[in-house]
Amino acid sequence: MKIRTHQFGDVEFTEDKIINFDNGLFGFEDLKKYLFIKPDDSFFYWLNSIENADIAFPMFGIRVIDEEFPQEDYFEAFGIVTLNSDPLKITVNLKAPVYINQNLKSGFQKIIDTDKYPVHYNLFTE
Amino acid sequence: MLVLTRKIDEEIKIGSDITIKVLSISENQIKVGIKAPKDVQIYRNEVYDKVKESTIEASRASVQKQTDLLKYKIQKVK
Repeated sequence: MKIRTHQFGDVEFTEDKIINFDNGLFGFEDLKKYLFIKPDDSFFYWLNSIENADIAFPMFGIRVIDEEFPQEDYFEAFGIVTLNSDPLKITVNLKAPVYINQNLKSGFQKIIDTDKYPVHYNLFTE
Repeated sequence: MLVLTRKIDEEIKIGSDITIKVLSISENQIKVGIKAPKDVQIYRNEVYDKVKESTIEASRASVQKQTDLLKYKIQKVK
């Protein structure tokens, strides 16, 4: 199978590479199948929708910035990144982490409704 | 919308495993307690709206050209 992505051009994949989000992502509830891509030259992982290849999210592994972040057994927590031409304005969503299990090919998003984790967390400082 | 009237300490059941209890009432605020299975997600509606907005924004911003990020420091959560 093949999709045409904005970031990576044509991407070929096989059925077993599809990560299933049974409930989609918040705001994108209808999109349930994604490819999880880690390009060598990118700082981020990418979650690219298969059903609508124009929809893609840069992702950042939250454990790198917070070792105490709420875990889910066998799943790794990623934050959706909002890019900006000014790196100091690039933010990660810690309020609604995306949990992915690459072996089970499964993922889900969850809201952590406490004040500790902001929707827009500044990823970089000088 | 189903409308029910409840007093303090009275409960509402949604299905067999979700219970909502009215804990306290003040002039313009009520406090509710919710008992539900672990896999049921519970959050305030305005938080959901904010998250949704941010996800849509992230999808739009994903086409931004990436600049060299290596000279910046990653900010750890305190």
